[in-house]
Amino acid sequence: MVTRSDLAATLAQRSRLTPTCYSVRFAFDAAIPTAVPGQFVMLRPEQGDRPFWGRAYSIAGTGASDTQPTMELMIKTVGPGTALWEQLPLGTRARIVGPLGVGFPCLPAPRSVALVAGGIGLPPLLFAAHRLAGTDARCDLYLGAATAAELIEPQRCRAAAEATGGQLFPVTDDGTAGEAGLVTEALQHRLAEGRRYTAIWACGPMPMLRAATQVGERWDVPVHVALEERMACGVGVCLGCIIPTSDGAHIRTCSEGPVVDGSLIDWETAC
Amino acid sequence: MLTPDLHVNVGSLRLANPVIAASGTFGYGLDLDDFCPPEKLGGVVTKGLSPRPREGAPMPRIAETPSGMLNAIGLENIGVDVFCRDKLPALRERRAVVIVNVFGESAADYVRVIEHCESEAGIAGYELNVSCPNVSAGGIQFGHDPRTLEELTARCRVVTARPLWVKLSPNAPDLVGTARAAAAGGADAVSLVNTILGMAIDPLRRLPELARTFGGLSGPAILPIALRMVYEVHLALPELPVVGLGGIESGLDVVRFLLAGATAVQVGTATFRRPGVMLEILAELAAYCRDQGVERVATLTGALEARDA
Repeated sequence: MVTRSDLAATLAQRSRLTPTCYSVRFAFDAAIPTAVPGQFVMLRPEQGDRPFWGRAYSIAGTGASDTQPTMELMIKTVGPGTALWEQLPLGTRARIVGPLGVGFPCLPAPRSVALVAGGIGLPPLLFAAHRLAGTDARCDLYLGAATAAELIEPQRCRAAAEATGGQLFPVTDDGTAGEAGLVTEALQHRLAEGRRYTAIWACGPMPMLRAATQVGERWDVPVHVALEERMACGVGVCLGCIIPTSDGAHIRTCSEGPVVDGSLIDWETAC
Repeated sequence: MLTPDLHVNVGSLRLANPVIAASGTFGYGLDLDDFCPPEKLGGVVTKGLSPRPREGAPMPRIAETPSGMLNAIGLENIGVDVFCRDKLPALRERRAVVIVNVFGESAADYVRVIEHCESEAGIAGYELNVSCPNVSAGGIQFGHDPRTLEELTARCRVVTARPLWVKLSPNAPDLVGTARAAAAGGADAVSLVNTILGMAIDPLRRLPELARTFGGLSGPAILPIALRMVYEVHLALPELPVVGLGGIESGLDVVRFLLAGATAVQVGTATFRRPGVMLEILAELAAYCRDQGVERVATLTGALEARDA
């Protein structure tokens, strides 16, 4: 059953995560539909049309402050659209369309899942770790970034993984924190050492998602990836966010995704 | 308190209100049901349907621009057969006013789509897409030359008694000429405007933003142009109903188009930003009528006052 809404909210909190990433928390005027980790929202200011489109952000978590439902989003500044909520004052009114798309297969909960996050791909996986904390699932969180400074909230990620009985594996390209190398290489090493998973869930750049899918194929573990694509509407009608699939067709990232079985994607064309 | 009468007649087609979902922005009619039930609208125009499914254009297909956007989707669609089989029955059950947007690469293609639909109940009319700037064959080639357009319209006219609208291109060199040609071919109304051909460039990568280089510009950026064109066509051909569109985002924008001469309007790109926007627009339109003492919204069509010289 689809429960999408155009919700009124207020920018309530903001904090810096890394030199290029920040976190924002919105407080909603009224109750919001339950979101599945991996689902996203289209965020735009209530006033004004610059930028013209809303922006798609994966939900990092939901909660409540006082009586108001809240939602956390994590944003990497790459241009004026993503810089917007870094500049607008707290109290700015927003419209949030969501929750949208297909999330990770949380029900039934996987027994043991590798959550593989590349950079700003973290939010849906952090949300997943929190959501699965109440189940029997054990979550290892592989947290990748270019450098130590770019690692997003390692302490919080460690706590989230440990709350499920799992572990955090920080990985940096340059080795300034955790293991040196790619986050998917760290996953491959753990599997080679004998660690076992019943599911791999990944979010990050396209080449990383392809690598995660290949690791899953090698070890016979099903892989779900959360995709990202430019989108005007986020609700399935603009047809601007298509991704090619291995059967020669394509899917809408916003509606058939953003979370899909990694083996369905035509990575050669998509990357 | 006054409850304004929002109904309008586009030629012989009676609509409960003048707000119609524009082609290509509302899926096949029920895609945004949770935000905007189609039966609440004056009508819904389907995504352009061709005789066979179309894959559409390569990515990237969309680009954000000041107060608007460019698209080059390339008329990706499921084809008329699948539409009639999988989408139409639910729309019929909901009593939505469905206008099928018809696209083809040849005149025979247009006729084929209409003929296929003729055996189906629950289709209120057709809108010929002769103005899509994003396909290599068909579409716009019919929309720029009045003689070709008249022939195409006439060929479609003979296969249906249902209302037949022609969606005109703002890129045509002679807009009034194409409107006149559509009317001469037997069109009941013209929709104007489709998107305006444009381009966006990424200065850092020195690349066009769209895979197809050019795309159709839509959104509030084009509203003044669309308004002027509706006004011109209405002035030249006052008997021809005009369905106005281009950047409408509010009830007051609807009033602007009606005053310029439109009988009804379509809302497109605004739905991308706010999927329930058409219900808000309808509420704003009713509020305008109440505030202004307008009993029948239909009386607004062409009711623009003259400026003192």
